[in-house]
Amino acid sequence: MRRIVLLFLAGVSLLAALPLHAETRPHYGGALRVELRARVASLDPREWPSDAREAAATEKLAALVFERLVRLDENGRPQPALAIWWQKDAQAKRWEFRLRPGVVFDDGTPLTADAVAAAWRLAHSTGPAATGSGDALVIQSDQSMPDLPAELARGRDFIFRVTADGKLAGTGPFRITEWQPRSRLVLAANENHWAGRPFLDSVMVGLGISPQQQMIDLELGRADVVELAPGQIRRAALTGTRTWSSLPVELLALEFDVNRPAVQDARGREALALAIDRGAIWSVLLQRQGEAATSLLPQWLSGYAFLFRTERDLDLARQLHELLRATGPLVLVYDVADAQARTVADRIAVDAREAGIAVQVSAAGTGAYDVRLVRRRFAVVEPGAALAELASAFGLAEMARLNNPSPEQVYTAERALLETYRVVPLAYVPESCALSARVRNWMPARWGDWRLEDAWLDASAPPAAGGKP
Amino acid sequence: MSFRTKLLLIFTVTVVSAVTLVAWGVTLYTRRAFEEIDAQRTEALVAQFRQEFKQRGEEVVRRVEGIADTEATLRMAIELSRPQADPSLYVNDALGLANSHQLDFLELVNNDDTLISSAQWPARFGYKEDWTPGEKTGKSQGAFLRREELPDGAALSLTAVRAVPVSGRNLYIVGGQRLDKQFLASLALPAGMRVLLYQNLQPSFTAAALTDAAGPVTQADLIAPIVEETRKKPESLVRVVQWSNDPASAEAFHTMPLMGRKGELLGVLLVGSSRRGMVTLLNFIRSLALLVGGVATVLAIFVSWWVSARVTRPVEQLAGVAREVAAGNWSARAEIRSRDEIGQLAATFNEMTRQLVEQRDRLVQAERVAAWRELARRLAHELKNPLFPLQITVENLQRARAQKPEQFDEIFQESTATLRAELQNLNAIVGRFSDFAKMPAPRLQAVDVNEAVRDAVKLFEPQFSAVGRPSISSELYLDEALPAIQADPDLLRRALQNLVLNSMDAMPAGGTLTIRTRNHSGVVRVEVSDTGSGLTQEECARLFTPYYTTKQHGTGLGLAIVQSVVSDHGGTIAVESQPGLGTTFRIDLPLAPPLPADGHQAS
Repeated sequence: MRRIVLLFLAGVSLLAALPLHAETRPHYGGALRVELRARVASLDPREWPSDAREAAATEKLAALVFERLVRLDENGRPQPALAIWWQKDAQAKRWEFRLRPGVVFDDGTPLTADAVAAAWRLAHSTGPAATGSGDALVIQSDQSMPDLPAELARGRDFIFRVTADGKLAGTGPFRITEWQPRSRLVLAANENHWAGRPFLDSVMVGLGISPQQQMIDLELGRADVVELAPGQIRRAALTGTRTWSSLPVELLALEFDVNRPAVQDARGREALALAIDRGAIWSVLLQRQGEAATSLLPQWLSGYAFLFRTERDLDLARQLHELLRATGPLVLVYDVADAQARTVADRIAVDAREAGIAVQVSAAGTGAYDVRLVRRRFAVVEPGAALAELASAFGLAEMARLNNPSPEQVYTAERALLETYRVVPLAYVPESCALSARVRNWMPARWGDWRLEDAWLDASAPPAAGGKP
Repeated sequence: MSFRTKLLLIFTVTVVSAVTLVAWGVTLYTRRAFEEIDAQRTEALVAQFRQEFKQRGEEVVRRVEGIADTEATLRMAIELSRPQADPSLYVNDALGLANSHQLDFLELVNNDDTLISSAQWPARFGYKEDWTPGEKTGKSQGAFLRREELPDGAALSLTAVRAVPVSGRNLYIVGGQRLDKQFLASLALPAGMRVLLYQNLQPSFTAAALTDAAGPVTQADLIAPIVEETRKKPESLVRVVQWSNDPASAEAFHTMPLMGRKGELLGVLLVGSSRRGMVTLLNFIRSLALLVGGVATVLAIFVSWWVSARVTRPVEQLAGVAREVAAGNWSARAEIRSRDEIGQLAATFNEMTRQLVEQRDRLVQAERVAAWRELARRLAHELKNPLFPLQITVENLQRARAQKPEQFDEIFQESTATLRAELQNLNAIVGRFSDFAKMPAPRLQAVDVNEAVRDAVKLFEPQFSAVGRPSISSELYLDEALPAIQADPDLLRRALQNLVLNSMDAMPAGGTLTIRTRNHSGVVRVEVSDTGSGLTQEECARLFTPYYTTKQHGTGLGLAIVQSVVSDHGGTIAVESQPGLGTTFRIDLPLAPPLPADGHQAS
């Protein structure tokens, strides 16, 4: 009897699954509407923005039009993209890449090693040199480049071609049909993409749209993909809106200007670090998105972040601060364009006040400062390279790039950096977005890279948000 | 100062004083009236503020209750009452609620006093709410004044607290409105008044904490003493602040302490009332008083001059008549023009003059009789002495002719010699009287008085130390800088000799004769002093009377001659004496005697 019941239930389940499978079958067509807060000015890899957040948005959009030689898989390992094979010499100073055959730029020009080398030279006036011959591309440098494939998989190392009319042509799944810098970008499906035509007919990207407006547009069915600030994620989830978050890809940290007398003494910096309640920042301001940070690299990237546990210690912070006999307040600046930064900075000032440390919060660019609140994006997923990039971004010149370092070496280097208290990690922040109900097969990389060539739109779904993820 | 001037001054001072008194009175009355109006307006404003304060408090209570009564708040309270509640979901709710309910401050506080969300200081979530005892009370509680901590300092808030109870746990809604310049700007103020608010949130006076409806107050340091006084003793008081040297810039401030729930002083409301209107009016009154006073003074001077002239003219005439009488014109009479006191005074003066003339005549007659009697007595005395020898001599002659004819010739010779001597004596006596009667007129020339003194003393020096006579010493203190005077040297020398002789007579037992000369206020003073037995007051009074003498021998003409000489030279003579201490004669001689009445000098 029990067996009969089980068989009956299995049959019913199979019958129920059949129409569902039919509804989730990919459909071609449709325009995906995306809204971003960043005001991207150009997709040209030669004009890469210096601001990390704008650079991240530019990279996302550029990756729809242009491709790199190598891509990263879900585990961060380099995988073939425009290059299908590569090898290095013993010192990792010369790398040879074999290009994928049959790839053409969206203007119809075939992808050749010469074209790739030309693009490389346009984007890299200094550093390693690239030469092309047939389908082989050689990148050579005087210094060892052990992680070159992984490095080529991130950042601005896109392969592009400058056409006769000065425009850029790429090999990506989409091509540019309309471009209004800082305002609007319209992409159309690249019918000749080597991996096949994307499901979407087009992608319409609105730029410079505020988070509130993005949420309104999503609610009213005027957008399909919008960005979410950490404070909006749980609220959106509570209202049934589909959300997606990446791994924590940004480090929120305090960076001291050690040339300032007020923070020249490491004990003063340590006092402020000890006064901060990171748990409150993470649980309330970041709405439990990402992680509270006591290390430079997140756990998912380094694997040892848990070793850097640091508890808030107001008494010790107060003692250290009193030792310094500081007179004036510390000036903490934040990026006014970063809506989250102000609240975090204010919270730090409140925490510091509890330890007797006066902190004056002001917008960056209004004058000299002792410490600033910054975001640093992890451009690479290899711990050593990521730490080196962070150190470089923070101006910690003493952090030398390690050659194929072991986890212990990276850990030691990171601890040494942290013990200078020139940078105080606060939190790791993920990248989040909200999706309308008709977006299907939304499967970006864990660190946030979009893969719109695999996404499609369900015409039967309601245009507004609120559908099940 | 003349009587007319005095009258003029009295009238002027009286008028000016009257005007000043009236102006002062008007000013005082005006000032009091202004201050009274000012006080009434201030009281009204303070009452208005209290009313506004109360209404605002009620409004805050309504708004906080509005938040507490919403379904969303109730849902929040329900969610937070669950065991695993996540308050972080509501961290941003306070700001939206505050905006929607028009509250400046709003905090959502959990049952364990943990701050869930704060509109005014969003970053303070998670910290314990700093309750003041009594703030967490029941629903009947009204609004109260509270110190609200902010990221950039502190502020004053009119606050209300409401609890939303769910399953024995409370969600507290703490809402408030800021007490700042906007609040002050909402008060309807009469012209010339303003309201300042000092937020007493710092340990000491802070200028930035003082604001009015327009913002921070300039010259706040001038308000500091008032605030400090109120901080020390939180009571209403009134003080005046003068913002510049201009008195019109003065402003009276009425303070109102703003107390918190614990009785602490959280703020001071200062109701300022400009004194410009009052000062302007007072200045106008002062100017008007000065103008009126000036005109009145001029008029008073004119009128008082006229009145005093009318009043003093009879008096001046009377004074002139008196001067004439004093000058010897005994026939002068005052004109009687009215029957008032002045007229009566003139009549009385005329009567007095008449009586004085009568008395003088009687006195002259009496003195003349007395003089004649004295003269007769002196003549009888002087003549009796020679007459007696004459009589004896004649009787001797008669007796010798009858009894001793042989000796008659001899006796005749002796008797005729005696008769001749006595007759000469009689002739000399008659001559002296004749000389006094015929005192010559002085022949003026420049005379050195010191020289005349020395000559007079030198004449008697042998007698000062004569054998058989007690010695007299002479001491001369002569001012060698004396100017020469116009005088008759012989007469002057004679007068001085008479005085020296008189002194010698006054010192029969010897003594010291002292003579001083000096320039005394433009006249030459000569003092002749002896150390004799002195004179009585009565003797002094009659000393210069002709033929009066205190000596056994003497005609009584010596000092009379001295007085006559001094008088003829336009001078004066006086005597000072005390019995037993000596006598001093003081002669004052002008540098030149006055011209005689007939206009030419005697030659």
